[in-house]
Amino acid sequence: MALRVGYFFNETLQGLRRNGLVAFAAISTAFIALFLVGGALLVSREVNLLIDFTTRDVEVSVFLQKDISPSQQQHIGDLLGHMPEVASVHFESQQEAYQRFKEIFRNQEVLVQNITPDALPASFRVKLKDPQQFAVVAQRLVGQPGIDKIVDQRQILKRLFAVIRVFRIGVLAVAIVMLVSAAALIGNTVRLAVFNRRKEIGIMRLVGATNWHIRLPFLIEGVIEGLLGAGAAVLGLFIMKVAFIDSLRGKVGFLPLVGTPDVLFAVQLVIPLGGLVAAVASLFAMRRFLEV
Amino acid sequence: MISLSRVSKVYKETVVALDDVSVEIGKGEFVFVVGPSGSGKSTLIRLLLKEEEPTRGDIYVAGKHIGKLSPWKVPYLRRNLGTVFQDFKLLSDKTVFENVAFALEVIGKPRNVIHQRVPEILNLVGLGDKLRNYPDELSGGEQQRVSIARAFINRPLILLADEPTGNLDPGTSVDIMKLLDRINRTGTTVLMATHDNAIVDAMRRRVIELDSGKVIRDQARGVYGYGA
Repeated sequence: MALRVGYFFNETLQGLRRNGLVAFAAISTAFIALFLVGGALLVSREVNLLIDFTTRDVEVSVFLQKDISPSQQQHIGDLLGHMPEVASVHFESQQEAYQRFKEIFRNQEVLVQNITPDALPASFRVKLKDPQQFAVVAQRLVGQPGIDKIVDQRQILKRLFAVIRVFRIGVLAVAIVMLVSAAALIGNTVRLAVFNRRKEIGIMRLVGATNWHIRLPFLIEGVIEGLLGAGAAVLGLFIMKVAFIDSLRGKVGFLPLVGTPDVLFAVQLVIPLGGLVAAVASLFAMRRFLEV
Repeated sequence: MISLSRVSKVYKETVVALDDVSVEIGKGEFVFVVGPSGSGKSTLIRLLLKEEEPTRGDIYVAGKHIGKLSPWKVPYLRRNLGTVFQDFKLLSDKTVFENVAFALEVIGKPRNVIHQRVPEILNLVGLGDKLRNYPDELSGGEQQRVSIARAFINRPLILLADEPTGNLDPGTSVDIMKLLDRINRTGTTVLMATHDNAIVDAMRRRVIELDSGKVIRDQARGVYGYGA
């Protein structure tokens, strides 16, 4: 058995060396494809985090007019508090709004310096039991004096998320195209390797080597190419995370960002995907060449 | 050991390579298949190896109906068949030892078996001192000996030789024939396709003559041609 392992290992190594440049092209394409797949996964994850974050506490903001009387404000608060659709109501005063504003824009001091608490409206920040019921709640408040406007926070984000979603689909589409290319290129190196060694293969068949014995070195060669591409993609994802996301982490403290567990989750998918695509491509490439 | 019953092989629906051939070859026989180029000798060997399927008829090799053999069993059929060709089919980047060892490696034989059997068989074919040479450092006759050693290392029941002396001068051919004769005397059935009349006449073995795919002669201790 030791001999067999050595035999397959040797064959594979020789094959990779012989097809250096083509193998490199195949590995690079696999790398790009899998990197994009991993990237798309991380973007998805980030979008989900953002949705969770932004809609966690507030779904509806009821901005109040500046000259609202305390009794009007009280009335609106009571109305909201008694609606069956409402999960919780929080009153944000102008001072609180200012604090939050300072927090959000703490990296843009000029902006903060030019704003006083007076300039920001007070609001009721409402969490709904079911976020879809915004229209019902808004309808009930129409005509109430002292209300400036009612904003569906999810509506604001909707456009943004739509854009991100399209972007994500785009990345996935490119990733799929690249995956198909990678499969074709890996299949091609395998085909080339088979062609280069047709004399050996002919002899192997004559002396009664089984199909799997003939195919395995080529299959391993293809899978190793796929896995090398996946490995590079994993490395790329971690570099991206460290270089971009981690450096962002300090600056946009109020936003949730994907972290190492998310990258690891993507890795868990990218590596088997690389191996699987390569294996299928290799077997497909050999099918035509290695009939008995 | 080999049995063909009413076997025909037609290529592309018009080219008849074998036409209604029925032949029985017993265990331990030495048989020449003779005939001009294109008479169907090579087709016969390809059919026996199951590299091709007959258009009609049944073929039994080593007790198996090879038409009914499932594809995954074909390699095991071929392990019972040694094959020798005119062009030797040696791997130029492997030494003599490695070329013969290759036949054992690829069917998964362990290393100790290989290291024992390869030098043994190379001694038998008279190349015990050339283990580390590469094929292009050898004469044609020596290369064919390597290829015979490779074909015989698994002790096949049948040795198929397609023009094994086709590239060799007469003196060397005689040596190769002596080697094949020795292998035959170990009990291995030998089927040799050739158009080398001198060899056939000298050996006086069974001769099956093909012409345009038909068996036109099957003679127990024959010569190459009637008038020759």
